[in-house]
Amino acid sequence: MSARRTLRGLLAIFRNRRAETELAEEIRSHLGCAEEDALARGISPEEARREARRLFGGIEQIKEAQRDSRGIAWLETFIRDLRHGMAELWRAPVFGLTILSILSLGIGGTIAMFSLMDAVMLRPLPFPDPDRIVGIWEAPRPGVTNATTVPEFLVWKRLGTQFEAMSAEQLTLSALNASDGPLRMPGKLVTSEYFKVFGVRTALGRTFASGEDQPGATRVIVLSHSGWETYFGGDPEILKHPVLLDGTQYQVIGVLQPGAFDRDAIKFWRPLVFTQEDKSSAAHRLTVYGRVRADSNVAQAREQMKAMHAALLTRSLVDEDRAGTIEVQQLSFLLTGSNLRRSLEIGFGAVLVVLLITCANVANLLFARGATRKSELAVRAAVGAGRGRLVVQLLTESLALCLFGGVGGTAVAYALLRLAEPFLAQALPFTADVGINWHVLLFAAGAVTAVTLTAGTLPAFEALRGDFAEALKQTSRSSSSIHIRLRRAIVVAEVALSLVLVAGALLLVRSLRKLEQIDARVRTDNVITASIFLPEHGYTNAEKAIVFYRALSDRLRATPGLAQFGFSTFLPFQWVNNGEGIFIPGAKNPVLVRCKRVDAGYFQTLGIPVLVGRGVSDQDRQRGARVVVINQALAARLADVAHVQDPVGKSVRLTSEDYTQTQTLFVEVQIVGIVRNERTTAPGMAEPPLVYVPLAQSPVPNFKLLIRSNGNETSVIAGMRHALRAVDPNLPLADIATLEQVRSETFSAVRRPAWLIGAFALVAIVLSAIGLYGVISYTVAQRRVELAIRIALGARSLDVLAQILQSAFLMTAIGLGFGLLGVYLLTRTLRGFLFEVSPLDPVSLAAGCVLTIAMGLLAGFFPARRAARIDPALDLRRG
Amino acid sequence: MSKANSEIPHGTLDLLVLKCLDTMGPLHGYAIARRIEQVVGDSMQLSQGSIYPALVRLEQEGWIEAEWGLSDTNRKVKFYSLTKSGRKQLRVEVANWEKATALVARFFEASR
Repeated sequence: MSARRTLRGLLAIFRNRRAETELAEEIRSHLGCAEEDALARGISPEEARREARRLFGGIEQIKEAQRDSRGIAWLETFIRDLRHGMAELWRAPVFGLTILSILSLGIGGTIAMFSLMDAVMLRPLPFPDPDRIVGIWEAPRPGVTNATTVPEFLVWKRLGTQFEAMSAEQLTLSALNASDGPLRMPGKLVTSEYFKVFGVRTALGRTFASGEDQPGATRVIVLSHSGWETYFGGDPEILKHPVLLDGTQYQVIGVLQPGAFDRDAIKFWRPLVFTQEDKSSAAHRLTVYGRVRADSNVAQAREQMKAMHAALLTRSLVDEDRAGTIEVQQLSFLLTGSNLRRSLEIGFGAVLVVLLITCANVANLLFARGATRKSELAVRAAVGAGRGRLVVQLLTESLALCLFGGVGGTAVAYALLRLAEPFLAQALPFTADVGINWHVLLFAAGAVTAVTLTAGTLPAFEALRGDFAEALKQTSRSSSSIHIRLRRAIVVAEVALSLVLVAGALLLVRSLRKLEQIDARVRTDNVITASIFLPEHGYTNAEKAIVFYRALSDRLRATPGLAQFGFSTFLPFQWVNNGEGIFIPGAKNPVLVRCKRVDAGYFQTLGIPVLVGRGVSDQDRQRGARVVVINQALAARLADVAHVQDPVGKSVRLTSEDYTQTQTLFVEVQIVGIVRNERTTAPGMAEPPLVYVPLAQSPVPNFKLLIRSNGNETSVIAGMRHALRAVDPNLPLADIATLEQVRSETFSAVRRPAWLIGAFALVAIVLSAIGLYGVISYTVAQRRVELAIRIALGARSLDVLAQILQSAFLMTAIGLGFGLLGVYLLTRTLRGFLFEVSPLDPVSLAAGCVLTIAMGLLAGFFPARRAARIDPALDLRRG
Repeated sequence: MSKANSEIPHGTLDLLVLKCLDTMGPLHGYAIARRIEQVVGDSMQLSQGSIYPALVRLEQEGWIEAEWGLSDTNRKVKFYSLTKSGRKQLRVEVANWEKATALVARFFEASR
């Protein structure tokens, strides 16, 4: 049928009435004309009328045929069935509501999970031609990527002809002078082609021109749309007057259109200007993105960069740099880490299991209803409805149910996503725009159809099985044994699936417990952390930073309620991303280490014991002898690769960045002590070699503050603010958090799937309990007479109770068997998410089984008690 | 029982109606039925009513359009006329029909 006809047919349904009356009138005049003609031939009026009718043929048939060609017959039937379905639901509201809530839960969870997958993995990134956006990295070793240096970037940019645009960027933090004190605003320093790489446009003004990243250009910034709204109240005049950042005037030249960048933490962009020193700096501090030319492709661009690097192998500091190559990776690959991908896949798997259980449950309920409707269907068959027609009718009714379920599910999904919003913002890349869009709705429609077919088909055929004549004669009590066997099989499957989820959740919870029990290796109690950033304006050199450190220390020391405090460039638990090299006299290659700058208070505040020698002290000043403290891992490493058995007292050369992070210095330092390893990596990973450099001997603008207090949190934070304001009123105190929070946030990557799967497991176990309850109740209702006879013959209530419970237990036990098999099959998938817990951990599995059996017995108990209370006198008379 | 020869072959009624409107101009239902009866004669048996489903079909395809008017005997009737796309469709169908009959004729010729 052509689309046009379908459309006309649809319209015709609504024009139905008019068409009918018009047709009737047309037929009337037709008959009139025919009569006239006949009369003209001289036939009697009586005869003429009869002749006209005879020639016309069956009037009602014609009307029917006309109706069929006018409307779309199937659509009319469909709407009729749908109406009937609704009426049926209305007649049994409890049944309807039960099914609807089950469906809404099952479909809702699936939709929510799908919209996450859609946002992160399926939809293209929200930039024009996102496939052409790539990250360009140094790759010192296979599988390792690294930020690059300024000279390196300039070479790439000059020789990378496969790129339409290439930009380098570096994170920065700024203090915005607001009316109620300084506010921290995170931003990026970027080269002029940055916005060309991402293809982002402005809503107001313009982005950077090519000269604006050259030394001496005027100070300008571009704001993100959300930055403009949050920090400047969406001021439409923003381009007209300068703003004060870190005490310096900047001109806002543009505000971006609303879009993906609004979900990122970065609120503004400033030109990244390379000074003469930068251009010879060996500091690896630039992240580089490029847009591949339209007539090229990523593979070609990668090839060119690799070839170029091989040809240019520059004089690098460290051998390993020279051995490396360049890696060009698509942005989508960079944003969606394999870990997130796997978490989502596991979550989606769990949600599909819940959806399967939902289907099974709905099918089960429809079975039960099909049995009670057998006589109705028999009557309809008796008056001439074909079996095919009845199947269609039953399926349409299921569809009506599922449509409502779909609408309810979409609402549930919406609510779930809103609830999870703050936590999703953290877990997902900023490019992921999670929401209910047409993609998701299309998926929801698909899910609804799938559920209808899965849950509706079998019950529909089952309801129509067997002899209708029999069904008419008897009441609905008689039902085939296949029917009940099928329902039992469904319950067994449900139990199996919920065991998989419950066991999975328990494993993750156990793993989480292990994580929480691991030794933090530092004292986290009563420690509050914050971060401070010294802007280049006002803190132009190392001396000024050192003066600031000392002034702040003095102020803090004078603040009541602060027991101890320390400064450090990285917090405990967080990965130290500053890598340096130690050159040992006589050794050919440097030892690669992580570098953390700390002050004298750091080790004491965190209770990190000094094992050999001493820690950092207040006497380690800028002009004094240069010293470092190392961790156990580095001591072991030195012994291993450089055969330095007793490192304390040894002098080595250490690479280190200067205050402006433009130059790499080689400093002669003496190792003065060894401290116990703290934690800087994910649990289960080996602690890297770490060198602690006194902050005062190697100052940097960006550092953390750790304070151990004996007072309450609020007054301590107020004290910190007060101390900072006294030293420099323009500096904001940012990222305030307790060390406990830092710890649990760092481990939250592991925590996430645990609570998600836990929630699904709960839903699953409730759903299978409902299913089991339904089946056992049904069996009890069926066997009422038989049970009554047995009780009349002397069976005790307890025996009856035990017997019913036994059948519930049997079904659960069989389900458990299959479930255990399922867990076994999932071993490999689960292993990656578990910490120090085997996927076949007997404790979790046993607990899962016990829980499931308890659920099974509970679901069986209520119908069993009903059976035990059967009064033979009453029931036998009724039956 | 061979009843086929006494009825209008399936699918040809539409073609007959179109052709009829093409040669005669706008006509009302009864007139169309009469015209077809006259041309076909007694060889085929047409129940006049069966043209109405055909008319609805053709109108839905947009090949004919209808308008209420008065007959010669002052009766309120619906006049049907061919549309532009109807004329085009008629040409196509006539061509198809001729091709089909020619093919069948040739086949009979060959297998005689």
